Amino acid sequence: MSFGGFGGGAPMFGGGGGGGGGGARAASSPGGGLPFAGIPPELEKGVDKLLTQEPDYPEPTAEFTYLNADQLSKNLNLRQLIFRHWRMGVWAVLLVCIVSVTNQLGPALVEHAINHGMVAGHRHFGVVAACGALFLAAIVVTAVAQRSQARVTGRLAARVMNDLRVRVFTHLQRLGLDYYTDEKAGVIMTRMTSDIENLQQLLQDGLAQLVGQALTMVVITAILFTYNVKLALITIALVIPLLTLGTLWFTSASARGYQRVRDGIAGVLGDLSESLQGVRTVAAFNRQRWNVVAHRNVVGIYRDANNYTAQINAIYGPGTQMLGYLGQASLLAIGGNMVIHHQLSIGALVAFFLYLNRFFAPIQLLVQQYNTFQQGQSSVTKLRILFQTDPSTPQRPDAEVLPPVEGEIVFDHVDFGYDPETPVLRDVNLRIAPGETVAFVGQTGAGKSTVAKLITRFYDPTAGRVLLDGHDLRDVTLDSLRRQLGVVPQEPFLFAGSLRDNLAFARPDVDDDEVWRAVDAVGLREVVERMPDGLHTVVHERGQSLSSGERQLIALARAFHAQPRVLVLDEATSNLDLLSETKIEAALDVLLEARTAVLIAHRLTTAMKADRIIVVDDGRILESGSHAELVAAGGRYAEMYATWTSHAALAA
Amino acid sequence: MSVAEFVPTGNTSKYRPPRAWIDPDHDKTWLRRALPLVMARKATLFTALGLSFVSLMIQVQIPNLLNSAVTNSVQRHVGTLHYVPLSHYVRIVFILAVAAGITSYVARLFLMRTAYAMEFDLRNMIYTHLTRMSFSFYDRVQSGQLISRANSDIRSVQMYLTMGPNIIVQCSIAVVAFVYMLTIDVPLAFVAMSTLPLVFLMGLRMRRQMFPVSWLIQARLAEVATIVDENINGVRVVKSSAAEQRELNTLERAADKLQWSYIRDADLRARFTPVVQNLPQVGMALVLLLGGYLVIHGHLGVGAILAFSAYIVMLQAPFQMLGMLVMLGQRAAASAGRIYEVLDEQPTVVDAPDALTLTNSKGDVELQSVDFAYGEDAPLILNELNLHLRPGETVAMVGRTASGKTTVARLLSRFYDVTAGSVKVDGHDVRDVTVESLRSQIGVVLDEPFLFSVSIRDNIAYGRPGAAIEQIQAAARAAGAEEFITQLPHGYDTIIGERGYTLSGGQRQRIAIARTLLVNPPILVLDDATSAVDVQVEQGIHEALKTLMQGRTTLIVAHRLSTIGLADRVVLLEHGQIVADGTHAELLESSALYVEVLAQAEASE
Repeated sequence: MSFGGFGGGAPMFGGGGGGGGGGARAASSPGGGLPFAGIPPELEKGVDKLLTQEPDYPEPTAEFTYLNADQLSKNLNLRQLIFRHWRMGVWAVLLVCIVSVTNQLGPALVEHAINHGMVAGHRHFGVVAACGALFLAAIVVTAVAQRSQARVTGRLAARVMNDLRVRVFTHLQRLGLDYYTDEKAGVIMTRMTSDIENLQQLLQDGLAQLVGQALTMVVITAILFTYNVKLALITIALVIPLLTLGTLWFTSASARGYQRVRDGIAGVLGDLSESLQGVRTVAAFNRQRWNVVAHRNVVGIYRDANNYTAQINAIYGPGTQMLGYLGQASLLAIGGNMVIHHQLSIGALVAFFLYLNRFFAPIQLLVQQYNTFQQGQSSVTKLRILFQTDPSTPQRPDAEVLPPVEGEIVFDHVDFGYDPETPVLRDVNLRIAPGETVAFVGQTGAGKSTVAKLITRFYDPTAGRVLLDGHDLRDVTLDSLRRQLGVVPQEPFLFAGSLRDNLAFARPDVDDDEVWRAVDAVGLREVVERMPDGLHTVVHERGQSLSSGERQLIALARAFHAQPRVLVLDEATSNLDLLSETKIEAALDVLLEARTAVLIAHRLTTAMKADRIIVVDDGRILESGSHAELVAAGGRYAEMYATWTSHAALAA
Repeated sequence: MSVAEFVPTGNTSKYRPPRAWIDPDHDKTWLRRALPLVMARKATLFTALGLSFVSLMIQVQIPNLLNSAVTNSVQRHVGTLHYVPLSHYVRIVFILAVAAGITSYVARLFLMRTAYAMEFDLRNMIYTHLTRMSFSFYDRVQSGQLISRANSDIRSVQMYLTMGPNIIVQCSIAVVAFVYMLTIDVPLAFVAMSTLPLVFLMGLRMRRQMFPVSWLIQARLAEVATIVDENINGVRVVKSSAAEQRELNTLERAADKLQWSYIRDADLRARFTPVVQNLPQVGMALVLLLGGYLVIHGHLGVGAILAFSAYIVMLQAPFQMLGMLVMLGQRAAASAGRIYEVLDEQPTVVDAPDALTLTNSKGDVELQSVDFAYGEDAPLILNELNLHLRPGETVAMVGRTASGKTTVARLLSRFYDVTAGSVKVDGHDVRDVTVESLRSQIGVVLDEPFLFSVSIRDNIAYGRPGAAIEQIQAAARAAGAEEFITQLPHGYDTIIGERGYTLSGGQRQRIAIARTLLVNPPILVLDDATSAVDVQVEQGIHEALKTLMQGRTTLIVAHRLSTIGLADRVVLLEHGQIVADGTHAELLESSALYVEVLAQAEASE
């Protein structure tokens, strides 16, 4: 009877297939901020009140090292995660045990009160009163124990997840660039989000439920057996197999159903989002009427998926409910006859009726929690594999701190390939003098960007050495190396935060004057002053509010602010408007001054600025010399230059 | 060629269009405004509610039958007064169980289908409405906001509209059950029901306190995700700045805040759930005490205790739901407000009642004394602008940034209406012809062409869905796109954006040109690309453009020097007016500003 009405309706509420779908989408495009772009007005007051209760947090304590993950992380498993907080684990189990006993006392007490206080010949209100009082006491104990258990397991789950978040993030930070290029961003994201969140439900509720429900079943079975073995066996045979099979079917069918719903809502929102983004194209091509019908198809598919889950829910909910009533009918027939033939007391029959209902919840929950358990296990496995991945550019235990350098870079017989089969650089020998500006030119895939990645030690050479002021890069700490290097990547990346945070990324603890110096160096003052909050203007969504020229200038200012001895610059390929182009060229002149600079040039105009141009082809250095020398030499560079000048003339 | 061919219609769907629209009267409450939507599905909705009621009525009988069975069959001996054979009750309970199962299956299925049908109507309604909106609306509203409304707000309205009546039906059963209990014993009935109002109140309080925490958790999960996302995408910057420790600290702070909200959530659950779950049990204990007393004094049968306990269990869920209903109602009202806000927006560019259909345009385009501003208080972008494009002529528009070039292009297709003056095509004011027919005569190639995540074939055929593959190939060939398309793994069926099949700026441009070529409009508006492409690619695109412009009236918004070479005539825009008009050579001689603008362009090439 406990399934009257809404027992099986839970998925509908929990559902919100739409919510699920939205969640999946949000996970794939985090930072977009949807649907949490702001507090919904109806929640504002509640959230504000909540925030006033928030404590001050201690300073972060996790320490970053470039070492491999420790053995404990490499053998990560569920047991170990909980054992770290074993006191809480023991408490939780103890409380669960108490609940599963006290929570089942009610019907037994009713039975006792009837048999020893109410039936003819045994009428004692004292017995009834005692049973009633005990019942009340049992309820209080149950409630208190449940409350404590929820507090304990809630903390356990929160701590374990916090611990994992920090550990997984630390490990991700140490992994080399190869990991980030080989693995899709979405997958890496999943390790830090859903793989950890999967454990939340399991730890907060799932494990306690698994233990609690299993215990409950044992307790109820034991009680029923003490009343009457035969009826107990019949009851169990009537209920358990059918309910278990039904629930197994339901969990797998509804998992399929909700996958369909998630795909459906993703389709709907995808179509909507494209229609909105391409709204100008839609209007220009008069596609509105066509698209309205197309959208109706997508929404229709989503609706069909929802109707499919409705079908499953409508079978399962009322189905189990009917099973419960049929169980009662059978119990009435069999148990009633047993009472009539004096094989069973009337009180015991009432107890059987009351316990029959209590069999349902544990079975249903056990099946569902088992799913959660499996999901949690597979998440832990994925995290374990992540921890077992060692960084590809490890720091030696005896690595030294790199002293301040002059900026001499030497490639000594360097071979390199992203995978061993296909070498990208072959026996490269090169010396870049302190203060020299060298530009690398060559076709896409010739290996010029790879040179930059070796200098910054994003990768280690497969053979040979890369030296900075005579130090093999592998012998110095990564931290001290990279503090003396400035890198401007091809695609300027802006972090969500203020403009100042972005500019002063390498050295945040400076005063605003110094940040302004970097701003002035690249000629960005005008742009910054135009912004609503100046330096403290918050940059949104990876800097979409800024033009691509402004983003590039910010990246240059960021490198200037770092004041590195060696600058590695991968030129952006995207074209800019006239003004930005001019500004960037001016900014480069300032930036390159008085430091060793390596330019990965995609345009000859940029290359011409360099003291020396190196032409890379097929992993080797083909030509090297100043612009004038190379043009005079009449080699590959001269050829490229000739093509370029002819086109430039044509355009003008 | 007739207009019908230019306007993509005739797409088919097995799904029927929405049956209702919300009530346009702003003064009505949100529920009254949603009523047409509900009434459109009244057949299934009322069937579901009716059956739900029947099913519950059946279920209410069962505990009472158990009570009678215990009293009349089990406790009484055969042959005594009022004895009823046990099999009689067993048979009835059995039949009622099956009946309850079937009715509540149908009721629930119908109810949920109704919910999804209303959601279907709402979604289609909003989409249809959005396609009618003008550009000024999209300038103002963020698409992310609209998507969020389409996602969670529709859900919460739909949920309330269907759950509401159902919960009320469920609770109405409480009345019936209460009446049954009263017929058994009056004081005991009151005692049994005594804790249920508390269940409702506690449930309500719990949800009220939980919602902000749940929101906070979601917000903080998003915060953590943002940090991770930035460290993945900005990994080069983080590593080269040796900022790992700092980023780790940032993450730890965010994780600590998240941990706190999770613990808050657990504590709130811990405070309320045990109470809400155990209050009905208290009712049972009280029934045992008072009921036991009554049994001992002969006022009541033992079966009554069983029946009362069963009723309490049965009523527990509806009372908890009642608390939910209140919360759902508050959320739904807020959501509905946000949805209506969108639906109440009116398009500004609409067909005049007696609008003509523009067909087979000669391509004569004229702007007469046009003033334009993007909003009532906004500054004038165009000021008394006059421009005439003769049929078949190609005119390049040149000017500094923000001189109003792009705006002129937008006015031709009537993406916006002029503030004063008029835009005429073949002598017709664009406001006197249907928007659809006007746009079918004008092809637009935007500077950053938008391609949809469908196959290349469908992208080219965007303006003429259902075009034969030969036509599509011919258009691609003319746009110089065929070569790279055939080199793609799936050729014309390659889906853009899937598995990293992204196209370069130049390739996208050429697909956009092919798309316009296929529609074959007599008038063309080109916004020249500022981004994209090296010299060779640019040449290729210019070849494609020359093909495109043959025999059409063309307006090119030129950002680059090289594009000017494509035009017969150049007009120079400054402060929303045309300040010079003539061939490239003429302007070079006569206009100092033109020379300056060109010099700026040259500096960058």
